[in-house]
Amino acid sequence: MIPIAFYLALAAIIFTIGLYGLMTQRSGIRVLMCVELMLNAANLNLVVFSSYNGDLTGQVFALFSIALAACEAAIGFAILMSIYRMKDTISLETINILRW
Amino acid sequence: MAVENLAFLIPLLPALAFVLTFFLGKKLPTGGAIIPIAAIATSFIISLLITLNLLANPEEVVHYSYSWFAMLNIGILIDPLAAVMLTMVTLVSLLIHIYSTGYMSHDKAPSRYFAETALFTASMLGLILSDNILQLFICWELVGVCSYLLIGFWFHKPSAASAAKKAFLTTRIGDVMFLTGIVVLFADLYKMFNGVIPDGVYILRFDEIFAHIPELAALNSNILGMEISHITLITLLFFGGAVGKSGQFPLHVWLPDAMEGPTTVSALIHAATMVTAGVYLVARTFPMFIAAPSSLMVVAYLGAFTALFAGTMGIVMNDLKRVLAYSTISQLGYMMLGLGVGAAVGAEAVGFSIFHLINHAFFKALLFLCAGSVIHAVGTHDMRQLGGVAKVMPITAATMIIASLALTGMGIPGTVIGTSGFFSKDAIIASAYLFGETTGSWIPYAFSIAAALLTSLYIFRLIFMTFYGKPRTDYGGHESPASMTIPLSILALFALLFGGLTSKTFNTFVSETFVNNFVNMDISSLATLGGYHLAEHAGHEPMLILWMPLIVALAGLVIAYLVYGLKIVNMDSLVSRNNPIYKLLYNRYYQNSLFTNFFSVKVIYEGFAFAGRAVDRGFDWMVNWFSNLTLEAGESLRQFQTGKVQNYATAVITGVSLLVILVKVVMEVL
Amino acid sequence: MLNKNISFTAMDVITSVYNYFRPRILGMVVALLFLSVMVVAIAFTGWPSLDQIPQNLEDQSNIEGIGMLIFTDFVVPFEILSIVLLSALMGAIYMAKGDDNQ
Repeated sequence: MIPIAFYLALAAIIFTIGLYGLMTQRSGIRVLMCVELMLNAANLNLVVFSSYNGDLTGQVFALFSIALAACEAAIGFAILMSIYRMKDTISLETINILRW
Repeated sequence: MAVENLAFLIPLLPALAFVLTFFLGKKLPTGGAIIPIAAIATSFIISLLITLNLLANPEEVVHYSYSWFAMLNIGILIDPLAAVMLTMVTLVSLLIHIYSTGYMSHDKAPSRYFAETALFTASMLGLILSDNILQLFICWELVGVCSYLLIGFWFHKPSAASAAKKAFLTTRIGDVMFLTGIVVLFADLYKMFNGVIPDGVYILRFDEIFAHIPELAALNSNILGMEISHITLITLLFFGGAVGKSGQFPLHVWLPDAMEGPTTVSALIHAATMVTAGVYLVARTFPMFIAAPSSLMVVAYLGAFTALFAGTMGIVMNDLKRVLAYSTISQLGYMMLGLGVGAAVGAEAVGFSIFHLINHAFFKALLFLCAGSVIHAVGTHDMRQLGGVAKVMPITAATMIIASLALTGMGIPGTVIGTSGFFSKDAIIASAYLFGETTGSWIPYAFSIAAALLTSLYIFRLIFMTFYGKPRTDYGGHESPASMTIPLSILALFALLFGGLTSKTFNTFVSETFVNNFVNMDISSLATLGGYHLAEHAGHEPMLILWMPLIVALAGLVIAYLVYGLKIVNMDSLVSRNNPIYKLLYNRYYQNSLFTNFFSVKVIYEGFAFAGRAVDRGFDWMVNWFSNLTLEAGESLRQFQTGKVQNYATAVITGVSLLVILVKVVMEVL
Repeated sequence: MLNKNISFTAMDVITSVYNYFRPRILGMVVALLFLSVMVVAIAFTGWPSLDQIPQNLEDQSNIEGIGMLIFTDFVVPFEILSIVLLSALMGAIYMAKGDDNQ
């Protein structure tokens, strides 16, 4: 029997990896991947709690979440393509038009 | 339905007329004059009926009181005092409105004029009807505003605009004192109830105030090292308000300048009604005054002094309306004196004073309207350019002479033959004699006799210079239309006969104003409280005293006739800028210059300018400092706005982590 | 194949390490901070005893249950989600396609 804390720690680690990538990576695609990683860490939590509570609602919710992640990824990549067309780059460093 | 139930309509109808005339007047002929005239005529009829009812049964006063909020109320009180004032105000106002349809016919904005006079009438009636001091004060301010608006009616003239400002600001000094008096009174009464006021007790209502006079008299405060009774303090502050409104020395300076408004306004507001509000206030609170040591003395002395002081200035003015303005101030001084001598004659003083007030309203309104008639026809109000007007305008001249006789108080003592001024003014002078006998102070009497001489002198000077002799300049001129002469004739009738017909009834009627089902004051016991000894044998003055006013009035007439009619004395040497006395009088004792040039310009303007500059600099510095601070802070803070999503994400994550730690730490520690 | 020309000084190593870490150090610190907060939170939370969980040890498969739930209780969210997915795909295609000219 694996204690719940281990699953949660795993999810936290995955989430932190995603977080680290989100904060440091320059390529838009990498950042999107990191976001996916974080989403999946959250899904993992959902499934773990659902499983340990004996209630399947959480797992259904994780399924929905995955579907929404797919939407998010699709839109995200589409936006990156638009940006690429405008700026010939997808490096987030150069996208700072919201600056002061 | 009893007519008493319609009492609330008396001020309401003119107020309604104000609204209607203001909005619809432009579309109606003669500026919608018919609306206020109809409204005021109705008010007049109601007031007259109520007065007649009251005359039959003076104890049953009309009184309605409604809760306003907390311990304050609004209400209607028509006792004899208010009733005669109401009737007088509505009548004079009605006549002047009718007259104005002729007088203002050439004006550009008659509807504004009629709206404002209607509003004035409404506020004045509200002032008279008030059964509590606060409502009185509100209406008091309203009439002040109307006075301001109407003095500055021709606001495109700079002199009119500044006269309006001067009137407003000068009376404001008095108003502030009045308000202070109310505040002190309220605080004292509130303390007497220990802050617990039962339902239905309205502490600023007159009956409640009068009921607490002995307790107020017992309260003492130490002001500038002098023990002063609260009742004296309050009454003197009220009197301060009256001084401002009624143009007593030293706040009279606004009244002559107020003649910049239309003559009808001068007649209505600055001669007949509004300026008497101060007298009315003192009369209304007379039980307080008589219970206050030395307050009535101040009233008597200041009144007598004003009567003389204004008279001296009246004899050198060359402007028709200014002479009348100083005459008004002088007569108001008489009214104040009439109240002041209450120290010797008790409640009868109110009767004398109000009687003079009513008579004065008739003959002074008449004088002003006659002057207005002359000005309207001739186009100038400099007496030096007039002369011989009587031939052109016989009705105006005749009514004016009647008014002058009323003003000087011509009549035969001991009989009922005499003009209305005779009965009221001589009664006041006779009471002043009694006052001298009782208190041993003859100054008010001496002043009032001297003022009577001056009165006769300046008014007959005016008559002789204006109506007598040959025209000094070529002024066309014609008799005024019927809408103007009819009110003149009615007023002349009143000026001639009212005093003789009503003198006895009137005085007893008004003197009973404090004994009825609303308040029941024992004036003589209150006088004891104030330390006054009332004279017991009124009406037994020596014969000479009774004849004295008439003698000096005739003397004034003779002097005026000799100097201005026959011209046997050459006045040129006297009337010159080299004569110091003439110069002093002509410059109005330099008081005006002192107030305006020194006090207003030097002290107030420059003081405020200096203070304003200092404050300005301070604010400038502060504002600049703030703007610099903000700019610099923004300059440095905006470095954080890199526009890079990842930086923001980093900040968010850091923030969340720190927040969690903070919450945890706080929860652990606490 | 070894190339003798290639050699590293200590300074080169330090510089390269520094250059590697310099843009990442803030991210690392923040990520570690977050991780530590999470780990501490997980470790010091008193989770319910493990006896009761997981309850369905015998039947490890839960596909059936999820399927039942999706088509009963959550059928409306499921349908809505399908519409969201469809519109997201259409939007993505529209954005990614760009102008016809290009």
